[in-house]
Amino acid sequence: MENLTENILVFATNIRTVTDKLTISAALDKNPAIEKWNIDQEDVDCVLRIISKTLSEEEIINIVENQNFKCASLE
Amino acid sequence: MRTRDTNKEELVKQKAIEMMVKLGIEGFGMNRLAKESGVSVATLYIYYTDKEDLIKKIGIEIGQNFFNEMVKDFSPTMSFKDGLRKQWENRARFVIKYPLNVACWELLSHSSYRDYIMKESLCDFKSIMTEFIKNSIDKKELMPISKEIFWSIAYGPLYSLLRFHNEGKSMAGTPFELTKEAAEEAFELVIKALTP
Repeated sequence: MENLTENILVFATNIRTVTDKLTISAALDKNPAIEKWNIDQEDVDCVLRIISKTLSEEEIINIVENQNFKCASLE
Repeated sequence: MRTRDTNKEELVKQKAIEMMVKLGIEGFGMNRLAKESGVSVATLYIYYTDKEDLIKKIGIEIGQNFFNEMVKDFSPTMSFKDGLRKQWENRARFVIKYPLNVACWELLSHSSYRDYIMKESLCDFKSIMTEFIKNSIDKKELMPISKEIFWSIAYGPLYSLLRFHNEGKSMAGTPFELTKEAAEEAFELVIKALTP
């Protein structure tokens, strides 16, 4: 498990289907600032979890919203 | 900035085990677990990537704890009778002390997580027990039988008695407590059955 918890960012999204995941994969995989990411599509919030040393919450929200998905920081 | 709180993490694990046993693997979710543990969903996702990750980590931890208890004061070079008695003591202690963890382990060992969890947590234990059985057969203290039959006869009686003990009653519904004497009586019969 990652020890640097400050590098983990979590968001509630509407990335629900397999196709949705493919769409967002393309955007996230090509971003070199993202070390690792995953989506828990079993969860009602379809939680997107990102590990990045440099990206801010806002920047990630922008990336996801640019793919026409909802994305909000999870508190 | 979030920091990891070990106490909170322990609480989450304990809650997850409780919920899994009560609701089943399909029945519980990360959101509900967060609520019941009093942590935010975000915190939960800091600890674990997803529900699958959580289940695997909990399963491995239970398996490793079980393994550590099983090998306490045990060596594969012990005589068959002493070694098996130690296994009975260690197993009984664990089952009585952590009934919820054992119930959770049972649940996971009937799920699709089984192979992964077993591989990650019990491989050392398996090799120790295999060595013990081999030594015992070589010393002619144990009959050469398949490991499935060995396991059923060696531990089946113990686990039945432990189930009665944890339920507080036997199959007939009469009150039951696993005393040292009862365990010893059953153990002697098992030794009788397995010794050449």
